[in-house]
Amino acid sequence: MNHTVSRDRRIALVFLLPAVVILFVTTIYPMLYALWLSFRSYDLSKPFIPRVFVGVANYVEVLSSQAFLHALLTTFKLMAMTLSVQVVLGVGIALLVTQKLPGMAVVRTLLLIPMMISPVIVGLVWLFLYFPELGYLNYFLSLVGIGPVAWITSTGWALTAIAIADIWQWTPFFMMGTAAALQSLSPEPYEAARIDGNSRFDVFRYITLPQLKPVIISLLFLRAIDAFKIYDIIFVLTKGGPADATEVISLYIYRQSFTFWRMGVGAAASFVSLIIITILITFFFKSLQRSQAALAR
Amino acid sequence: MSSVTLRNVVKRYGQLEVVHGINLEIDEGAFVVLLGPSGCGKTTTLRMVAGLESISDGQLEIASRVVNDVAPKDRQIAMVFQNYALYPHMTVRQNMEFALKPQKLADGEVDRRITEASRILGLEPLLARKPAQLSGGQRQRVAMARAMVRTPKVFLFDEPLSNLDAKLRTQVRLEIAKLHKRLGTTVLYVTHDQIEAMTLADKIVIMKDGHIEQVGSPEEVFASPKNLFVATFIGSPSMNLFQMTVEQAELGLLLTSQPFSVPVPSPLLSKLSPGRQVTLGVRPSDIRIAAKGEPGSFEARVDVVEYLGIEALLNLRIGSQEFIAQVAAAERPVPDQDVSVFFNPAGLHFFDSQSGQAL
Ligand SMILES: Nc1ncnc2c1ncn2[C@@H]1O[C@H](COP(=O)(O)OP(=O)(O)O)[C@@H](O)[C@H]1O
Ligand SMILES: [Mg+2]
Repeated sequence: MNHTVSRDRRIALVFLLPAVVILFVTTIYPMLYALWLSFRSYDLSKPFIPRVFVGVANYVEVLSSQAFLHALLTTFKLMAMTLSVQVVLGVGIALLVTQKLPGMAVVRTLLLIPMMISPVIVGLVWLFLYFPELGYLNYFLSLVGIGPVAWITSTGWALTAIAIADIWQWTPFFMMGTAAALQSLSPEPYEAARIDGNSRFDVFRYITLPQLKPVIISLLFLRAIDAFKIYDIIFVLTKGGPADATEVISLYIYRQSFTFWRMGVGAAASFVSLIIITILITFFFKSLQRSQAALAR
Repeated sequence: MSSVTLRNVVKRYGQLEVVHGINLEIDEGAFVVLLGPSGCGKTTTLRMVAGLESISDGQLEIASRVVNDVAPKDRQIAMVFQNYALYPHMTVRQNMEFALKPQKLADGEVDRRITEASRILGLEPLLARKPAQLSGGQRQRVAMARAMVRTPKVFLFDEPLSNLDAKLRTQVRLEIAKLHKRLGTTVLYVTHDQIEAMTLADKIVIMKDGHIEQVGSPEEVFASPKNLFVATFIGSPSMNLFQMTVEQAELGLLLTSQPFSVPVPSPLLSKLSPGRQVTLGVRPSDIRIAAKGEPGSFEARVDVVEYLGIEALLNLRIGSQEFIAQVAAAERPVPDQDVSVFFNPAGLHFFDSQSGQAL
């Protein structure tokens, strides 16, 4: 009896092993290695020099560096720009496409396409649109007498240009989530409001929006985590430039690690941003729970 | 004066016609119940009156005004929904305020109406609660209060009690009756429950498959059903039916089935001729146990006795014909024996077997 149990155990472990190995090799080991590295000095251009322990020096450098704080600020600025517009646009479009009109199912599917494209491709598409001399965007703007705008080559416009591309790609995410939530709302309160004669705005403001709030917060939460790590689009469009105008956290880490070869500083910056994103998640979860509790009460 | 009038009102969904030309007049202050089995078009009819569904054909008048193309909010109606349709994130008070918002009343008036409605429906201690914190019965009362504060000309109810348990249903039913008595406002009420209809209605409208089968007071539809459908739908337990044939006997016409026969009553003599198929209907309460050999009685076998306290239901059998009698519990026989039963001659209903219409 005892014998078979331990045998079953061993078989189970054998089956689990591949998954455990993969998880360890791809996630846990790199993370532990990065943590170890963040306390060392390691110059990748001189890989044979021993990795000296430097205590928290890398962390001190990251936290006191103008470039890191600037990258952090740029990341939050970009998040604020993209997420706010995405929520408003996404909810607005969701309200439109959930109307009972012919062809809306097709429209909804078409609107999802940007979300399904790899960010690198999105970056390339917008590179064509933004291209200083040959770009389509400036061509169309010139037709109405505007421009030319130095979309990705001026420090004033570059971050906005990135934001526009990101908004184009991720607004459908909010649209899809909100549309699904809208369709699950019970129709009776709307009929009650129709009989009572409440205005469309009041119905949206006091009936629809409060019921959508938990969904919108969840979507924001998912997008915020992703947006904090934004990399591909920026890498393709501006590589963090011009100057440091679009250098977000992940590009800062990349630059420290693979341009300046300072692996220890890059690793420390990674952990600082991990801590920041964890705080962000906690904050979002709290406010999500609060809004759901408010609905139930 | 008529408060709501339907003239040949039709509802079609594409090719499918679900309400076939309904005519109905609802007097001011009346409590009218649309009664019928599920899917017969009650809700559709009510929603056309509310303006939530368009009217495909015919005319609808509310307070002597044709309102076919009038928006729901301008029809001076208020509706209470089956699942209450309360606004989930608003308190009870806010639910009522929101319903009043379009009327742009002075704050004092809003407060006065909410206070009044809450007092009548006993909602004062609940005003600060949200729907999720209320029981089903309380939610239903909030839904009624929300309809009431708008002081409509007509209240529309769609199966308001169907989500409540049996005990609460009786209680809220009584509250609806009291509310109607107190306010005197016209009510159009939809239900599939004949007891609700009987207890609440001034006038019952019995529907089937998008048609009206009979309109009448509870007494009328119970005592003189126009056809077999109404006869069996109204009353619980439902009316017993016997398939009979008209035969010529020595003393006149007789209705016979295998085990027993009854004489044809004189008003029907001229309508019936030998050979005609007739369905005889007798309510369980019109059957009593008779003394052995009593004239006009016949023998039946007692299969099962269901004791209900004051009364008992007897499941009886004559040959293969089963039927139910409702007798005083004290007089109930024991099962598996033969008893004499007597049909109250005044409680006999005759229907043409072919058309189902009363004779
Ligand atoms: N939107 C609709 N489209 C098509 N048929 C419908 C629609 N709504 C109701 N019906 C049909 O109309 C008939 C009457 O429905 P309803 O009025 O809800 O019945 P009741 O309230 O008496 O149970 C049913 O056969 C139902 O299937
Ligand atoms: Mg219904």
